Amino acid sequence: MDNVIVAAFVTGITTGGLSCMAVQGGLITTSLANRLEAGLQSAAKAGGKKKPAQARPGGAGLAQPILLFLAAKLAVYTLLGFLLGALGSVLSLSAVTRGILQAGIGIFMVGNALRMFNVHPIFRYFTFEPPARVTRYLRRKSKSADSPLTPLMLGALTVLIPCGVTQAMMALAVGSGSPWLGAVILFAFTLGASPVFFGLTYLATRLGALLEKNFTRVVALVLLVLGVLTFDTGLNLMGSPVSLSRIPQLVAEAFSPGQSLQTYTLPGQDNGIIQQDAAPQGGEVVEIKVTDTGYSPSRVRVPAGKTIKLNLTTNDTYSCARAFVIPALDLSALLPARGTKTLEIPPQKAGTRLQFACSMGMFSGVIIFQ
Amino acid sequence: MVKKVFKIPDMHCANCVMRLEGIEDDLQGILEIRGSYHRQTLEVSYDETLLSEEEIREAIAGLGYTAQ
Repeated sequence: MDNVIVAAFVTGITTGGLSCMAVQGGLITTSLANRLEAGLQSAAKAGGKKKPAQARPGGAGLAQPILLFLAAKLAVYTLLGFLLGALGSVLSLSAVTRGILQAGIGIFMVGNALRMFNVHPIFRYFTFEPPARVTRYLRRKSKSADSPLTPLMLGALTVLIPCGVTQAMMALAVGSGSPWLGAVILFAFTLGASPVFFGLTYLATRLGALLEKNFTRVVALVLLVLGVLTFDTGLNLMGSPVSLSRIPQLVAEAFSPGQSLQTYTLPGQDNGIIQQDAAPQGGEVVEIKVTDTGYSPSRVRVPAGKTIKLNLTTNDTYSCARAFVIPALDLSALLPARGTKTLEIPPQKAGTRLQFACSMGMFSGVIIFQ
Repeated sequence: MVKKVFKIPDMHCANCVMRLEGIEDDLQGILEIRGSYHRQTLEVSYDETLLSEEEIREAIAGLGYTAQ
């Protein structure tokens, strides 16, 4: 669970800021430009002796409205996350459904990255276009009044024009299936995006499009990587036997076909054991250690046709590995941070492979019945 | 009333649409304006007695875009 929050924050700080800036930045920069213009005009009318605070580009007069804008944005998106999480909890999504949703988010992120790389016009459709009525209303609001309430209101209204990355995070909030987790996901994402958004808005009056052009490709690349990873975690959560993070598992099996207990090393690796298969200890009881970085062993062979007791042991484990799921059986359990939880797996036919993963699909493993 | 669709190939985000649609606030005679980032177009209906196509092109160019 904690990892998904960190992931949302990292997405925010790496891609969210610029992506949101591209879609929503116009609102606050227009508003600021109007404040500057109004300030300069009133200074001119007053004889030009005293320059109002908001007329100094780069001064505290600019920082305050941007901060108000971001604070309102943070509050509204957190509320939105809460509502989306609540929606997800009502829908009570299974691990497989969440996996499909997550894989979809991954595709959406990759599509947006390809759009930013200008690969093909078709990728423009990965961005949602708000109705003309909404954009007109927002545009006029940003051009009008220069009261401190304007940036607050504009920040809140950005909820109507979420950028592509934000839309992906909104889907993640639905997938969390919990109002509180949904709220924290969008809070972490918006908070992560805020410093970049602040910096870019602050510099926008001078750098504008130049800055955007130079950074777009970098952002697209990061988005592409994050999109592929998100798609991959979706595959794990769906219980797919093939995914990027299962490659070590598949390689391990290629090296140890048909053996029940084996410790081995890969040629050229001097750090010893890289993966260990486990045989059931004491018959049908299997011990798996759950750590912050995954499951050990991650590949277990068990006898077919018998009920298996799976002892999952944690020891100061706080990552999402604690939220254990076996998608094919629709079996899930939240493990304590420290202790052992036993799950019973009904008898399976020989040759069955039960994929297991954490609830976000970041860590995975397999139980092979033979 | 004249309706003209301008192709704007250098629109690169949804915000460009909002920026371009903003010319209706500066030009007198625009009856309806609708931009599309997906299609890279700006559709303008205007009163030809108040406004010319050339003035619209100039306003678009003033925002840093190319109207085709």
